[in-house]
Amino acid sequence: MTLSNASEHASSSGSLLELLRGGPDSGRLPFPTPVSGPSGRDIDTHSTTVIAVKYKDGVINVADRRATAGYAVMYDQAEKVLPLDDHTLISISGSFAKSVEVVRYLRHTFKYFERSQLQPMSQEGKLMELQRVIVNNVPAALQGIGAFIPVLSTFDREQDQGRIYFYDALGGQFETAEYGAAGSGSGPIRGAFEYILRTKGPFRDMDRATALKETLTLLEIAADLDTATGGSAKHLPAAKYITADGITDFTEQEIKTGLGRA
Amino acid sequence: MPSFSPYDWNESIQQRNEYIEDRLREGSPVIAVAYEDGILMLTLRHNQRKLYEIYDKLMFGAIGNHSDIEQIRIGAIDVAHAEGFSRSADDVSLQRLASFRLSPAIKKIYSDPFAQPVVLKGIFAELGKTADKDILLVLSYDGEFTITPGYAVIGGSFGSEDKMSDHLKSATADGAPSLGTAVNLALKAWAIGKQHAESLNRPNDDEDDTPPTPEEFLAETLKTGLVIEATVLERNVTRESRYRVLRADEVKEFTTV
Repeated sequence: MTLSNASEHASSSGSLLELLRGGPDSGRLPFPTPVSGPSGRDIDTHSTTVIAVKYKDGVINVADRRATAGYAVMYDQAEKVLPLDDHTLISISGSFAKSVEVVRYLRHTFKYFERSQLQPMSQEGKLMELQRVIVNNVPAALQGIGAFIPVLSTFDREQDQGRIYFYDALGGQFETAEYGAAGSGSGPIRGAFEYILRTKGPFRDMDRATALKETLTLLEIAADLDTATGGSAKHLPAAKYITADGITDFTEQEIKTGLGRA
Repeated sequence: MPSFSPYDWNESIQQRNEYIEDRLREGSPVIAVAYEDGILMLTLRHNQRKLYEIYDKLMFGAIGNHSDIEQIRIGAIDVAHAEGFSRSADDVSLQRLASFRLSPAIKKIYSDPFAQPVVLKGIFAELGKTADKDILLVLSYDGEFTITPGYAVIGGSFGSEDKMSDHLKSATADGAPSLGTAVNLALKAWAIGKQHAESLNRPNDDEDDTPPTPEEFLAETLKTGLVIEATVLERNVTRESRYRVLRADEVKEFTTV
């Protein structure tokens, strides 16, 4: 008996992709294939600053809320820090449309695997899924369509510590000991991260309020130096943290305190 | 080609029912009860899990052949996830899943005298946005399904299902119970249903013996190594997936039966 034509193979492997595609294949996302045309452009990420830093009990993620198209500000309440599961946050930079679709795909992939296979997907497995999505997007990104680069933060319950991964445009994955950042505003503030590490000590030893304050200051500097990163004057930045207990939003009051406006 | 008359059809259906009912008879009852803040599903089992998450607000428990249960479970998960991804989680509904996918597929197999029938009775529970939108649905091996408010039961025989329903009907008459009360109601219903099924299987017992109360029966059963499996769909939580398996210590704390 088959309830859906595609179900037979997908359910044995737990792959949502195969379910959607109707069978095993190369693992490309069900997204439009890129049109052919002039290429040779660099993959450039735009229009954002997202930051993840470790702190004593986990990981903090903050992001500005500006979405741009060329020189125009399209939207100033964009949500760029998104949960992938109960202990994983993805902060996105680059094409907003593509990022949102990727997040949607990954969330369903993880849930489908866990429900059909009766065990959660491993951390390594989840990282692999994300890498594959980025790699599959390279041809489109090279044509200037839908490039995106995320920072992934998760709380590793086996090791009882937060973990942060950042990526290059070709899907290369790097784990970082202290912080990760992406987007056009991340370059200008890179030195400031190192300055904090050398003068104030590692982020992973800070308490939550201190780490949030440092991180928001860095985000404010990025907004000052990068036109595509929004400041906090109109709308407060997005800020979330992950601990062993899961993902929590910082309250408005905590963010204001972190910005020195309490 | 051999002829196949209406009488043959009638007989084959009858034999098929007997075959299926016979295999379901030993099944450990599954009980679903709507409580104040969600839906509880409960059964007793040996090692194999019996209650499953289907989608964000959908869960499933069944008795029958394990391979058949797996097929229905996987089929439901596939349909729900394909729809949830390509449209929206809000478009995944038990009503659509049961009427258009599960029921017709099972009915087709049931009506084919040359196919191996699906040996299964299952309960699907869907958590609504509000309590009055909760749905409990019992799906049977012939593809038929019924929707009941408040509670749902499946057991090895129609008699034991009736007994369990009677108990739950009077116990939930005053409105939805708390989770703790619901656990105890379901446990007692399980004992009533299982006890009834076993008395049917052993009709020659000495009739002078007073049968044990459901509470005594349950205590005896728990000593044999069966464990309580309880899952909930929770309404007032922020998680996207509302399904949660109650921990053994939680169940123990609730249990007064």
